[in-house]
Amino acid sequence: VPTPSRSRFPSFTFTATATFTVGLLAAPALAQVKVDSDVLAGLEARSIGPAAMSGRIAALDAVPGDRLTVWVGAASGGVWKSVDGGLTFKPVFDKHVPSVGDLVVDPTNPQTVWVGTGETWVRNSVAPGEGVYKTTDGGETWTRMGLEQTERIARIAVDPSSHDTVYVCATGAAFADHPERGVYRTRDGGKTWDKVHFIGPDTGCADLVLDAKDPRTVYAAMWQFRRKPDFFTSGGPRSGLFKSTDGGATWKPIRKGLPEGDLGRIAVAVAPSKPGTLYATVEAKKTALYRSDDGGESWTWVGDASAVTGRPFYFSRLLVDPKNADRVYKPGFSATVSDDGGKTFATLGSGGFLGPSYHGDVHAHWINPGNPEQMAIGTDGGLYFSADRGRAWRFVGNLPLSQFYHVSADMEWPFNVYGGLQDNATWYGPSRRGGPITNKHWNAIVPGDGFWVFPDPTDSDLVYAESQGGRLYRVRKSLGESKDIRPAPKQGEPRFRFNWNTPIHMSRTSPGTMYYGAQFLFRSRDRGESWERISPDLTTNDPAKQRQNESGGLTPDNSTAENHCTIFAISESPRNGQVIWVGTDDGNVQVTRDGGKTWTNVTANITGLPRGTWVSSMDAGQFDEATAFATFEGHMTGDFKPWVFKTADFGKTWQPLGVWDMKWYAHVVKQDPVNPDLLFVGTEWGLYVSLDGGASFSQFSAGLPNVAVRDLAIHPRDHDLVIATHGRGLYVVDDLTPLRKLTAQGLEAEVAFLESRPSPMVMPLFEFGFSGDDDYAGRSPSESARITYYLKKRHMFGDFKLEVLDGQGKLISTLPGGKRRGINRVEWPMRRPAPRAAPGAELVPSFFSLFGPRVPEGTYNVRLTKGTQTYTSQITLVPDPRSKHSAADREAQRKTAGDLYALVERLAFLVGSVEQARDQARARAKDLPEKDALGKRLTTFAEAMEKQRVSLVSTSRGEGISGEEKLREELSMLYGNVNGYEGKPTQSQLDRMAVLAQDLDAAFARFNAAADKELAALNAGLAKAGKPALAKLTAEQWAAKK
Amino acid sequence: MLRNRLLGAIAALTAAGPLMAQTAAPAKPASTATPAPAAAALPSVDELIAQHVKARGGMDKLKSVQTMRMSGRMTMGPGIEAPVSVEVKRPPAMRMEMQFQGLTAIQAYDGKSGWMIMPFGGRTDPQPMSPDDLKDAEDMADMDGVLVDYKSKGHSVEVVSKEKVEGTDAYKLKVKLKNGDERYVFLEAESFMEIRNEGKRKIRGSEVEVEASFGDFKEVGGIIYPHSIEQAMKGNPQKQSITIEKIELNPTLDDTRFKMPAAAPSPAPSPAKK
Repeated sequence: VPTPSRSRFPSFTFTATATFTVGLLAAPALAQVKVDSDVLAGLEARSIGPAAMSGRIAALDAVPGDRLTVWVGAASGGVWKSVDGGLTFKPVFDKHVPSVGDLVVDPTNPQTVWVGTGETWVRNSVAPGEGVYKTTDGGETWTRMGLEQTERIARIAVDPSSHDTVYVCATGAAFADHPERGVYRTRDGGKTWDKVHFIGPDTGCADLVLDAKDPRTVYAAMWQFRRKPDFFTSGGPRSGLFKSTDGGATWKPIRKGLPEGDLGRIAVAVAPSKPGTLYATVEAKKTALYRSDDGGESWTWVGDASAVTGRPFYFSRLLVDPKNADRVYKPGFSATVSDDGGKTFATLGSGGFLGPSYHGDVHAHWINPGNPEQMAIGTDGGLYFSADRGRAWRFVGNLPLSQFYHVSADMEWPFNVYGGLQDNATWYGPSRRGGPITNKHWNAIVPGDGFWVFPDPTDSDLVYAESQGGRLYRVRKSLGESKDIRPAPKQGEPRFRFNWNTPIHMSRTSPGTMYYGAQFLFRSRDRGESWERISPDLTTNDPAKQRQNESGGLTPDNSTAENHCTIFAISESPRNGQVIWVGTDDGNVQVTRDGGKTWTNVTANITGLPRGTWVSSMDAGQFDEATAFATFEGHMTGDFKPWVFKTADFGKTWQPLGVWDMKWYAHVVKQDPVNPDLLFVGTEWGLYVSLDGGASFSQFSAGLPNVAVRDLAIHPRDHDLVIATHGRGLYVVDDLTPLRKLTAQGLEAEVAFLESRPSPMVMPLFEFGFSGDDDYAGRSPSESARITYYLKKRHMFGDFKLEVLDGQGKLISTLPGGKRRGINRVEWPMRRPAPRAAPGAELVPSFFSLFGPRVPEGTYNVRLTKGTQTYTSQITLVPDPRSKHSAADREAQRKTAGDLYALVERLAFLVGSVEQARDQARARAKDLPEKDALGKRLTTFAEAMEKQRVSLVSTSRGEGISGEEKLREELSMLYGNVNGYEGKPTQSQLDRMAVLAQDLDAAFARFNAAADKELAALNAGLAKAGKPALAKLTAEQWAAKK
Repeated sequence: MLRNRLLGAIAALTAAGPLMAQTAAPAKPASTATPAPAAAALPSVDELIAQHVKARGGMDKLKSVQTMRMSGRMTMGPGIEAPVSVEVKRPPAMRMEMQFQGLTAIQAYDGKSGWMIMPFGGRTDPQPMSPDDLKDAEDMADMDGVLVDYKSKGHSVEVVSKEKVEGTDAYKLKVKLKNGDERYVFLEAESFMEIRNEGKRKIRGSEVEVEASFGDFKEVGGIIYPHSIEQAMKGNPQKQSITIEKIELNPTLDDTRFKMPAAAPSPAPSPAKK
């Protein structure tokens, strides 16, 4: 749960709240059903990765030692720590903001780490931060040390001579003027800060470095820049390089040798091995690398290799080899190195013309100061290690930092999920498997940046996917072929403007119809072979917002990221295909009620919303064609507020929804297709759920960090919620049915069962594979059925259990119940308990012999006992939807498994009987004199019994590989083999079962004969000796022993 | 009392061979414990422990128990169940048994050293415990729990915060164990019962985090005991739960039950016979 944030825009808060209140009062239908996050926590989201492509890493640090410790700062996926040399990682910062600008380990104490939040690589999709954090216990706990309003931090430098002195280089707000930026210094470990260097509200700090010898000498690069929805500017008269020699108290500009005119982003680095030598890449009209050998007083141009000049706003790090002052590393489109002081650069990595094996766009580079052969880089596609100074690289496959924009699902079982990612193409993979979902289960289609993607509704081998700026393709997965299907202007039509993230929308009323948005809306009914233009320009078409060709500032940067005045959201009513809603990036909401013939701009009807606010999503109502939901977000103009609205009258009036608990701007709203009051909103700070039609929302934080939720998909058949995050991959909340049933009334009950979807009876799989610990394992749900209930209060005292009973009221399973406050989910394996088995030498090597037999499909009663109270519900089991077996075949399996189960238990009873007879005889013999005849006869009998036992069960010690198979092993193996397969048993299995059953009968007869013969005689003797008689184990005694 | 950490036994079972491979699930981030809004000043360690002891029945009652046997069922995953029993005796000694497919596994500690019989792979002779496993055994042998007499046991305790544990208010205490391990203990704020603990253990220089939660508190002989325990490696969705069906106080438990047998173990009395 986030700490209550200070409002970023205090002037705004009061009026917005007032408007909301009025709006809500006007809506009597909305009775608040407010729950806290803990109530929902039992419906835990499971991370399915993927980590195959990982995601953007903004910062890195590491501590060499016997075990290399590695710290990773993700652009929008949190802080991760490895204590095993970069083999496994764990997230250590998930309660806080997930965007990292820089992180640095205190050089005097490896347990102290500083994290500056808010990425400084200010691309269009960059995420914000909220200050600087510090841990003194290696990441266990974090304290926010202030600077909350800086939004982004480029650098942190700890004074190695006095570690309470720390410099923070704050790039500051990317989208608006703000005075909290520049260079900050603390001398008390972060308790208080002084802003020691400030140029102006549009100029932040881009880089900062301490002199290698004298930490009171500080170099800082100041950067004037601004990002807008439609434009980016790097550079201006206020940018420049500065130096302080008094620990930041005073600063002087450095200009000698540097280029004339406006400067842009500057990276600066000192040579650790040669005090006084520095390098700087300086963005200017002619960007170049400069070198100083006099402590930065004067600079010399050394080169303008493309490694130095490429995209300075995105790549602005520079490192000098720890031991060689002429070796300079420059992360950029690739990782590069100069061995001649910056004159020439070579690309790290092999690969020749095709480029290196690592993902491009390198933002962070760590070099082991003690062994410069060892290094790591952080890229747009994750983390890599090299042990040979960058020739070969090992990808880290267990950092699920994937930055999704959108997600969709197909109708396979289990369904696949599809999504497009920042600089990482479009991928699809399974929503669940019989085992973990690992990197090898994901496949990429369509290179470039990925966004919207949909499988064809009638043929999931066909997928519609795109790359940035509206390049649209139809891909056949099985062949890998892709066809360009982007609509193109016909004679007389203007150029089409496509957003960076161009919306594709699939009709829900007419499968096979899809929409695509430029400034116009297009419709195709033939899989993209042809497109019909069904709207005029739906945007403001403001020429002032269409200057992307001039974007970039000193360095032109027109990647389509600044394309503007475009359609961004499309939603066709599932109730009426003639009703289509469109939202644009420049703030228009338009609706047609006649399939596109006429359009109405309803933007002006939304009161309280600043004009021109980007429409981030639209969702046509599931139950009523007049209803629609919309999210708006203005963070790129400095408005971080969440805006979520609803209309129920085709846009004539709009009602703001109760977003008070949301911290940051909203990306997506979805209405549940079953329960009209259930809404989901994805925001820059996590996922929110409303149970009351939007009157109030609660954060859904179970298993899901405070990461940006960009898109949501609710599976229409399986009712799973798929969550697309921008920084932590995809999550699935299995089965929303219980959430749909959580009503105001239910919340008042002490205990309330919540309905679940019918559970498919999937046979567990056990895969062979030992891939080690560096492959991310996405979670699959277990094959169990789920029983869901709500507890108003945690259960503390007295009994608490769940029992499952069949239609006749016969008890099948007893399960320990979850006791937490709120929703609990309990797994039922849909099996009876395992059979009682006879003890042998070792476990029978058959996994399914450890389980009980499956129960038949159908409806079962569930009884919850809480203290003296009982509550009942039902659960329904259905066959595996993929099953190839007839109901009769499945029944034959159950019958055979049941017969074998009975045989395994019968053998256990026999062995129990044999052992009792043996043990009793031994015990009596022990009480008798050594040469006593009765004692001898007892011993002989005990030996006979032991012989019988040895004939029935394995007894040789064999460390698991004795290979000994007796009746116990044969029966249990056969039971396991039948029990692990859903269809009918083979004739061989049935024949063998008959043979083993006969063997068991014969063994019983043998025991009974021996026992009946001897017991009478022995007991007569024992009676004479005044000793208790030997007794045969009865079935009742055996049952009681359990 | 029965703490967490039957994990050693489970690990041994899992190590029985490829049979059980691939049941391990991936790492999952985030703690379920979330900070509550700032509250009034926290009670002191001694206050909280005094309340905890009082709520459980009082120090005299606790100390009147010299031996104890708990028996019940362990669920190691959906559909995998085993009968389990734990015997504990003062001065600290313990013996745990678990039956699986007719085979009985034993872990025991006699106050000095530990041993075990792990028959699942074919070995039925006792083997000494590794020092890491011994920590588990020592822990389980601590009948009163880690908080009671913590000073004389050589532990240190501090109150960290009042937090939500799965939505319920609890006091969070940090315990530094004598053996160097760390543990957080959460006492439910109304009843002062221990509802959760999170332990950190050093194994061959690496930290292993385990968590356990406790419930179904019931009175036995004037003392409140949890009758439900759920435990997991931290972040692992695969949890083990133990349901305790019976607790016997002061049964006769001979010292030989805890000592490592020369060859074969003494036959285990079935809990149901008692």
